[in-house]
Amino acid sequence: MKTHKLFENGSHSWLMFGRDDDKPEQIIDTNQYLVITKNNALLMDPGGIELFSAMLSAVIKQVPADKITHIFASHQDPDIISSLGLWDQALPSSTLHSPWLWESFIRHFGMKSITYAAIPDEGNSLRIDGVNLEFIPAHYLHSSGNFNVYDGEAKILMSGDIGAALEEVDAPLFVENFDEHISKMKMFHQRWMPSNSAKNDWVQRVRKLDIDMMCPQHGRIFKGDDVKRFLDWFEALEVGLIANSG
Amino acid sequence: MSDPTTNYFVSVAEIAAKLDQATHIAQQLSLTASNARAVALRAGERAAGFRPLTDFIDRLAEITISSSKKINLLASTLSRTSADKVRADNAIEHFHDVYVRAKDSPFIHSLDAQFDLCEAAQQKLNTKYRRQIDQLSDELSMLSNELRNAVILATLSRVEASQAGVQYQEALINVANNVEGAAGKIKNHIHYSQQMVSTLE
Ligand SMILES: [Fe+2]
Ligand SMILES: [Fe+2]
Repeated sequence: MKTHKLFENGSHSWLMFGRDDDKPEQIIDTNQYLVITKNNALLMDPGGIELFSAMLSAVIKQVPADKITHIFASHQDPDIISSLGLWDQALPSSTLHSPWLWESFIRHFGMKSITYAAIPDEGNSLRIDGVNLEFIPAHYLHSSGNFNVYDGEAKILMSGDIGAALEEVDAPLFVENFDEHISKMKMFHQRWMPSNSAKNDWVQRVRKLDIDMMCPQHGRIFKGDDVKRFLDWFEALEVGLIANSG
Repeated sequence: MSDPTTNYFVSVAEIAAKLDQATHIAQQLSLTASNARAVALRAGERAAGFRPLTDFIDRLAEITISSSKKINLLASTLSRTSADKVRADNAIEHFHDVYVRAKDSPFIHSLDAQFDLCEAAQQKLNTKYRRQIDQLSDELSMLSNELRNAVILATLSRVEASQAGVQYQEALINVANNVEGAAGKIKNHIHYSQQMVSTLE
């Protein structure tokens, strides 16, 4: 599991974890993110059960366990949060922020001690040590209850499955050539995303945000102009398709 | 049979399933007892010696049913405990893994308090698990002993049947055979369960 620092200023930092060499081959590679503030930390989309040891090991190298007070799960998928039963044993007094829609489903992963903070459909925000993190609605992209995390100070949008690409485990962290990158994203977005109107609604919402980096849960991070390129490409893309997905 | 060291919760579920079958057979035994009583009544004086035997068959059925129910309950509690135990063992295993992978981290000991708690919980579950296995195996041998009486009952039933006259003899011998057959089947289930339990210990 590799760790990469995406952002740092006086108040907080963003870390990305991923490109796990030890991961079993049949498992989709995932990116996990951590925001560290003065006394707290938010762990985002901590990943599947198969990844838990690698993730906790990587995280514990950065912060003490009791500092990880918040967890975020953008939606209910196993690659996002099936490790919950184990985090529950490691971080029993933490709070999980996740869509209200999935609470009774996510609890199936085993959650005895962690507190579930249900995010309403319209989204809300989390303020830790003066750092404001907004949960931006991204429903039906792909999950019917789904959120992104936006940090206006760092200008980072953690976009979950939006912008995801199916890549080799040793792929670079950042998109280098957007046009070449399209072929790795197209099928994923057309096949997993069900709704054009939800997609266009999200594009409009996100265009209003000031974004330097868009960080998906699979594949590469979009930087600078590639963020706008992604939004244009995604807006024009027809989703909810099973055929012609080459 | 599954590997008991890694799949003990599967073994426990199999025990519960076996004993569920035993309960059904015991219910048939109870039917046999009321059947026998009816035949003995029709046979009148000549089957007078058979009547008290039907009470014993009834009692055996009752004991078997209540004991099977109790064993079933024990097995399902044990099943829950073993599932909890798998989860606890699994968490401990992951913790060990993290202690190795992140041994150089300055924060590694921030996990100690939670690890200790998990270990204490695991210990408690282990004790509970062992106690429940003991209870289960005690109840199994109790029932197994009770079922030995079935052989005696069947023999006595055959003796009495031979005196009940040709008309009823066959029906009563049938009763004896049913008692013996049912008890045999239940004993097989118990024996299987006892073997499974011994792999858990
Ligand atoms: Fe997903
Ligand atoms: Fe995903």
